[in-house]
Amino acid sequence: MGETATVGDQHLRGGGVMRRLNAFTGVVAGIVAAALGWGISRALMSGPYADDRTISIAMVCWILGFLVGVGAFTGPVRWALGRDLTHADEQFMAGKDQGAFRFFRFTTDHKVIGVQYLVLGMVTFGVGGILALLIRTEAARPTSTFGPATYNAIVGLHGIVMVVATIIMIVGPFGNFVMPIMIGARDMAFPRLNALSFWTLFAAVPVLLSAIFLGGIPTGWSAYAPLADQAPPGMDAFLITIILFVVSSGAGAVNLVTTAVTMRARGMTWNRTPIFVWGVAVTSILGLFVMPAFMASQVLEGLDRTIGTSFYIAARGGSPWLYENLFWLMGHPEVYVILLPAVAAIMEITPVFSRKPLFGFSAAIIGEIGIVTLSVFVWAHHMFTTGWAPALNGPFMLTTELISIPTGLLILVIIGTMWRGRIWTRLPMMFVYAFLWNFIIGGITGIYLSDVPVDYQLHGSLFVTAHFHFTLMGGAMMGALAALCFWFPKMTGRMLDERLGKVSFWITQIGFNITFLAIFYIGLQGEPRRVADYPATFATGNLVATIGAYILAIGMLILLYDVIWSWRHGERATSNPWGAKTLEWQVPTPVPLENFEVLPVVTSDPYGYGEPVQPVAASVATGAGPGSPGLADPGRLTP
Amino acid sequence: MRETQGTAPERRAWWRGHVGHILLIWAGITVAGVLFGLFLPPRLMPQPASGTMHEVRLTVIVFTVAAAPVAALVWGIALYSLVVWRHRSSDVPPEDGPPIRGNTTVQVAWLFVSSFLTLFLLVWGLGELQAISAQASPKPLVVDVVGQQWMWTYAYPQDGGVQSATLVLPVGRSILFRVTSKDVVHSFWIPNMGIKIDANPGVTTEVGVTPDQLGVFNVRCAELCGLYHAYMESAVQVVSGSAFTAWVRANGGRVG
Ligand SMILES: [Cu+2]
Repeated sequence: MGETATVGDQHLRGGGVMRRLNAFTGVVAGIVAAALGWGISRALMSGPYADDRTISIAMVCWILGFLVGVGAFTGPVRWALGRDLTHADEQFMAGKDQGAFRFFRFTTDHKVIGVQYLVLGMVTFGVGGILALLIRTEAARPTSTFGPATYNAIVGLHGIVMVVATIIMIVGPFGNFVMPIMIGARDMAFPRLNALSFWTLFAAVPVLLSAIFLGGIPTGWSAYAPLADQAPPGMDAFLITIILFVVSSGAGAVNLVTTAVTMRARGMTWNRTPIFVWGVAVTSILGLFVMPAFMASQVLEGLDRTIGTSFYIAARGGSPWLYENLFWLMGHPEVYVILLPAVAAIMEITPVFSRKPLFGFSAAIIGEIGIVTLSVFVWAHHMFTTGWAPALNGPFMLTTELISIPTGLLILVIIGTMWRGRIWTRLPMMFVYAFLWNFIIGGITGIYLSDVPVDYQLHGSLFVTAHFHFTLMGGAMMGALAALCFWFPKMTGRMLDERLGKVSFWITQIGFNITFLAIFYIGLQGEPRRVADYPATFATGNLVATIGAYILAIGMLILLYDVIWSWRHGERATSNPWGAKTLEWQVPTPVPLENFEVLPVVTSDPYGYGEPVQPVAASVATGAGPGSPGLADPGRLTP
Repeated sequence: MRETQGTAPERRAWWRGHVGHILLIWAGITVAGVLFGLFLPPRLMPQPASGTMHEVRLTVIVFTVAAAPVAALVWGIALYSLVVWRHRSSDVPPEDGPPIRGNTTVQVAWLFVSSFLTLFLLVWGLGELQAISAQASPKPLVVDVVGQQWMWTYAYPQDGGVQSATLVLPVGRSILFRVTSKDVVHSFWIPNMGIKIDANPGVTTEVGVTPDQLGVFNVRCAELCGLYHAYMESAVQVVSGSAFTAWVRANGGRVG
């Protein structure tokens, strides 16, 4: 193989160790480190906290061992040794000429990282989906199938797996792959940090899944203290995962913001910057502010569990309200961290499939910034019934209801863009319509929950479960699926099969709506969340919801098959199959390592549909040939 | 072709063009939404056994009715665009739509209407809170509620400290629950009365209600509290004043 020869040559010039590290060596090093850490701490420790300490230490050792073994510290180590990376080393790290193997290394190319996130995200969704099916299987009939212990463990695991999956589902794959090309950059601002944030998340996944064998997470994903203090070592897996996840997403957010702010092409002023870039940047800033609260909540929980502090233990002066505040300080903004990139993707996609400019570019930006700003002032609406600060219930009701104004503005942008357009109902656009249906239901039901007295009735019931599934799954995930179908040709070089995609679309939508409308039904009737068993009153609604969940699962499996099949055998994609105007469609497919041969200069925003092209009448409408990267439309771009 | 209608200069009255058609669809969906809101949620929710629950049920109805025209507008335009403005081919549409980059009147009107609706929600909510707290009397019957894994116990400090594993309340009397927990966080919920308050270890939280229906209702734990959370439910018996007095005496208390 040609690659081997190259690698051998480089080896002679030093840096041989770096060239041998990959995910496999990482796993080996991680397991060795974990075993050592476990053995040593097991030998040294005794007493009431020994189990939690041993397991936590083993997990931390796994992470460090894995990161060393995968080559995450190559750059700093080489720098410390006074042998900084050469250009050839950098190119090697970017994955030049390594074929598919580059996906299993500490590769710095943002396109590789985007694909890695896509696959990891799909695997995570798969695990979360299987857990969801187990939950619905248990709840199908009013007797307990698996027993409450198993059921409780699964509920928490499903929750946190899906939260992780939905947070990364857009900024991970599309923020990384698409965003740098969209702004005319050759890579992210910090390529090695980018790889570090992916592999940290990768290392966190086995830690989280190990909870299955350590007693699960029988607290729900919100992991309220002091229940979490009673929980088995699965809880340690949970909190270490959260800490790692916050590190990973923080590193990713810093990188995305810096890239969006500093690396835009010449001429790409803020009002010519695509709305998706805005969405990713604004969301990343929000994440940077709020995710540390999640980390703090779990660090304190970890201290309570392993060294006997009592931050959350009331009998020794702590307070469960402290946990709840820290948790929801992250917890509510977090839903916007999930939702905003999805809406941004939808606002990017709608003009392409309506063949019209975005309706109200500034309104879209005002809406996004308004949501981000308000979202950090609403957390206590999750705490109306906790008794923490009854006097603040009114003010938090106000801030929560105010957030519907900027949210409504984003909806206006979408339907205004559709207005009198040429509605081209390819698969990505179908998901935009599904978003509008589901998200309106999710949004309206959120208004009931913002109302203090109604929340006193509905809080903690399945109504809440149905509400956030309608916003996050029916809403945000539709944005992610629209984005997947839209950018699939650019990322994989092949078209996603639409016939199968449409079959999956309808089955998924029908299954989803049956499931969660039925859960609204039993929630209004008064069934609490997270119960393994329930009275006969709720039997009908639960059975319908379970049937819906299986239909939904069939739809999702068809989509998964479609993605895998199309990735391998799909029709070859041209560079711009949608006739879109953003920069990523003006470079060849597959995208060359450095994206642009000549960096583009931008002279207008990418929404000039139906507008006369000026100053040169360009005839290229459906994208550039491979020979003219970045220069598809001379009216907009000049070298 | 339908697609070209949009770009042709239109001299017809506005109600005969896109706007008029969408208004019709909007009115249809709104009526359906209002009927849905009036009939379905109140039938699904637990039968009210307190003034609080009446307020909650009314609010759900009012909010659904208020939300119907909003949903109808978004769905109406979406539906209309699918039927009338759809490009019926899988190829890129040969020509673009009109280059409308925004419309200040529409955007300002949208902001104005959504702000007005938000203001309405807020005022309604505050009025509702006011109405609920107005139902409480200054001298309520105090019931101490203790949650623990996985049961509730009750004490009546004003009635000679009667202790009970079941909750018995006199109808028509203002009750104040003082709630706490012996272990983890629980949540004290009476679905038919529309009240819920967390039971936290180390502190006492309060919620008031005035039962207005005789009968037996559910008491539930609404916060995941460990293994048998699903089974942490019991009953509340709402009885007449005299029956309550008799019950207190029978349990060794004296009516305070
Ligand atoms: Cu409980």
